[in-house]
Amino acid sequence: MVTVYEKVKKVVEEQVGMDGEEISATTSFAEDLNLDSLDLMELMMAIEEKFSDPSSKLEVPDEVVEKMQTIQDVVDYVEETLKVREK
Amino acid sequence: MLTTPLCKLLNIKYPILQGGMAYLGTYELVSAVSNAGGLGIIGCGGSPPEWVEEQIYLTRNETDKPFGVNLMLMSPFLEQIIELVIKCRVPVVTTGGGNPGRYIPSLQEAGIKVIPVVSTLALLKRLERLKIDAVIAEGRESGGHVGDTATLPLIPQIVDTASVPVIAAGGIADGRGLAAALSLGAQGIQMGTRFICTTECIAHPDFKMQILRAHDRDTTVTGKSLGHPMRCLKNRLTRQFQAMEKEGVPPKALEEFGVGRLYDGIIGGDIENGSLMAGEIAGLIKEIKPVTAVIQEIISQAEEIIEYLHTMLGKS
Repeated sequence: MVTVYEKVKKVVEEQVGMDGEEISATTSFAEDLNLDSLDLMELMMAIEEKFSDPSSKLEVPDEVVEKMQTIQDVVDYVEETLKVREK
Repeated sequence: MLTTPLCKLLNIKYPILQGGMAYLGTYELVSAVSNAGGLGIIGCGGSPPEWVEEQIYLTRNETDKPFGVNLMLMSPFLEQIIELVIKCRVPVVTTGGGNPGRYIPSLQEAGIKVIPVVSTLALLKRLERLKIDAVIAEGRESGGHVGDTATLPLIPQIVDTASVPVIAAGGIADGRGLAAALSLGAQGIQMGTRFICTTECIAHPDFKMQILRAHDRDTTVTGKSLGHPMRCLKNRLTRQFQAMEKEGVPPKALEEFGVGRLYDGIIGGDIENGSLMAGEIAGLIKEIKPVTAVIQEIISQAEEIIEYLHTMLGKS
């Protein structure tokens, strides 16, 4: 089964146009990938799309998006949200 | 007569908004635009709430027509100004310089029409989860803070995604621009630079003159390295700023270098060392006129164009 981390990594690779080998859990959006707030918003929209299906939508609130600094932050948030959803 | 559903939504005669420019969106210009049938918009910039309250009061003294207030989201007084516009029951609020998401519900609850400025599809999609009344899509031709996409490609993409009326901004100063915006699916336009060169605008005469003198290549973008690029008329300041950015001067020093420059330029008239925010369309503006004349000419020119386009169908 594909892990949340792998899925998130794939979205980042596609959005930023980078080779997967250059990206890890600790990769920082601002410092390593040079993303500004608009880039980060676009990335989060793609993440939401990836983890949404017709029966349940993932929507990341603005105040959460603003605090996302690394890929791990995104993975943690998605995993936590999915867990709550399953309950 | 040229009219669009946006006119009914905002209770205005013509689908023309005046950009809420910092220091220049004062009651003189705002009331003139609203009295001429458009929507004048007070520009808060980084001004304190007392100033904004005075401008609202003075605008209401001069006009009984609707007007708006532009909230600059980076303002240190943002929350106080939001309380103020709710208290004063301002008819329309536009926002610029970021994501207004968290402030929209309280404005909507107060019955204020909310019209955010967007330059990306991602921000539009996020904002459409909340209730917004219309959206201003601003291309990178505009003056001041700019996005990455030009007006011609941006507007139809926003129109295809938005479920609310779209107002086109960036690069528009005459009836041709209005007709073009309508062709792209917009229901109205917002202009900044055109309204600076009016008799009512309080901009320094030397700044107005620099816009009249400008040619097609006379604006430039600075501050890209700071993450908030800004379009201004080229002068000593923009040359120095770009040289400093190229040398890799730290962001903090660049920010400090820019402090107070906008006021010095557009109000103080320091055309060499001040920040002369203006759009690419500056080159098209050749005359200072009263606001009424600007609006009337734009509407009649757009009407003529639309009639002319009809003849191209060969059925007239």
